Amino acid sequence: MDEPPNEVRHWLYSFVYNDRSVAYVKIDDQLLVAAKGGCVDHYGLSSLRIGESVAEQLAFIEGLLPYRDLPFHIPMVELPSGRVTDLHLFSDSACIWLLFLDATAEHDNKRRIQQKAYEMTLLQERERQLNEELESTNEALRESQEGLSREYQRSESLLLNILPASIAERLKTQEQIADNHAEVSVLFADIVRFTEKARSVGAEMTLAILNSFFKAADLLSERHGCEKIKTIGDCVMVVAGLPVSRPDHAEALAHFALELRKAGTRESFGGEPLRLRIGIHSGPIVAGVIGKRRFAYDLWGDTVNLAARIQTSAEPDEIRISDATHKLCGQKFACDLLPEMELRGAGRVQMWRLMA
Amino acid sequence: MLQKKICMLGGFAVGKTSLVRRFVQSIFSETYLTTVGVKIDKKSVVLSDKTVDLILWDLAGEDDIGSFRLSYVRGASGLVLVADGTRAATLPVALTLRERAEAEFGAMPFVLLLNKSDLVHQWKISDNEINEMSQSGFKIYLTSALLGESVDDAFIQLASMVSK
Repeated sequence: MDEPPNEVRHWLYSFVYNDRSVAYVKIDDQLLVAAKGGCVDHYGLSSLRIGESVAEQLAFIEGLLPYRDLPFHIPMVELPSGRVTDLHLFSDSACIWLLFLDATAEHDNKRRIQQKAYEMTLLQERERQLNEELESTNEALRESQEGLSREYQRSESLLLNILPASIAERLKTQEQIADNHAEVSVLFADIVRFTEKARSVGAEMTLAILNSFFKAADLLSERHGCEKIKTIGDCVMVVAGLPVSRPDHAEALAHFALELRKAGTRESFGGEPLRLRIGIHSGPIVAGVIGKRRFAYDLWGDTVNLAARIQTSAEPDEIRISDATHKLCGQKFACDLLPEMELRGAGRVQMWRLMA
Repeated sequence: MLQKKICMLGGFAVGKTSLVRRFVQSIFSETYLTTVGVKIDKKSVVLSDKTVDLILWDLAGEDDIGSFRLSYVRGASGLVLVADGTRAATLPVALTLRERAEAEFGAMPFVLLLNKSDLVHQWKISDNEINEMSQSGFKIYLTSALLGESVDDAFIQLASMVSK
């Protein structure tokens, strides 16, 4: 390659010299400053003392001299003066030259671009982190919601064990529940000679027998669409036609009674089958929830009282039904008319024995 | 006069410049201003038996390790590796930069600073990982350039390591 002609070389020299604010420092073989020149003021190097150690005067030289592999250059060094320079180090036979070429403008441009790029990257990283945190928060929320809904279902099912479903639903929004029902059938059933037998078989056995009796009542209630209202000692109270009315309430409860009696024969209580007295009566009642913390869904009215009286008057193994109940379902079952009988608080009462 | 060149190495925006400013001038700025090239600062550290001038080369952090200019590290006596405790990926960057510097210029003393310890809730580097590195002989400092926490300790530790 031909050297460019002098005119070009001269122009290039003056262009670089003026544009890049060239300054130089000459360093001797003792690593002392031998000379300086060019735009030394530009770099804050005017106080550099000739004949003194370069490393003590120019901190950035620390570690770089003496160095075998000259020349080399370090781009964009920001000096304490705030100027940014490209540093060139090269040597001739006797000494080392340190050349300063201003790079402030290039540095500032590069920084503007770099700054934008890094800020963008940081934003993206932060966004990703926030998204991850959001996701894990959502996950935790979902878990606690599931826990809540499990709890809710648990308390719901506890409530449903105590109250009929539609009543439980209304209780959530309503303070008081008292409903008139014109047509229902009410059944009472208890165990024959319970107290006496309980004494002979002991508490544990008694509890077991009560448990299976009431379980049978629960199961059959469900099967025949009746509601078990409560148990009182060895007595169970079941109603049909509640809380949703049905025209065949008497018939449903009659089926219930027959099957409950049959269930008793499969149990053994003190060496003989479980024998029941069952009574049924049909008519109007009032149903409602009483209590504030311990709810009880219960029935009131003459129909309830008479049903209880009929039950106590029944013989062992007998299902005794009132004339009112018989009128509603008598055709569908085999029934025997009983002689009229005086019941306490009710006068003379016409009753039937439900056979099958 | 005892003078040592120290290089700050680490990914971008981990706090190298802020740590130097905290150490040299005891100030902190919330504004992020990226470093391009290198900025040189000087700070005298008084040890029990001597005083050492640290010449701190605050190098530009890179997001691409491949573009890192090793020539800046020439002549260094020690390294300050800096990672951002809230950005786990910056730890391997700092460790890789050290490997590259040592491959070129030989082993040299270093300290590892896990910076931004004030951002407790965004912290991403586990105690386990820190303990493991400590056990392998690393001098590790959880620093906060914002609060000044452990910053002087880290630089003084390195000053005593390089002036032995």
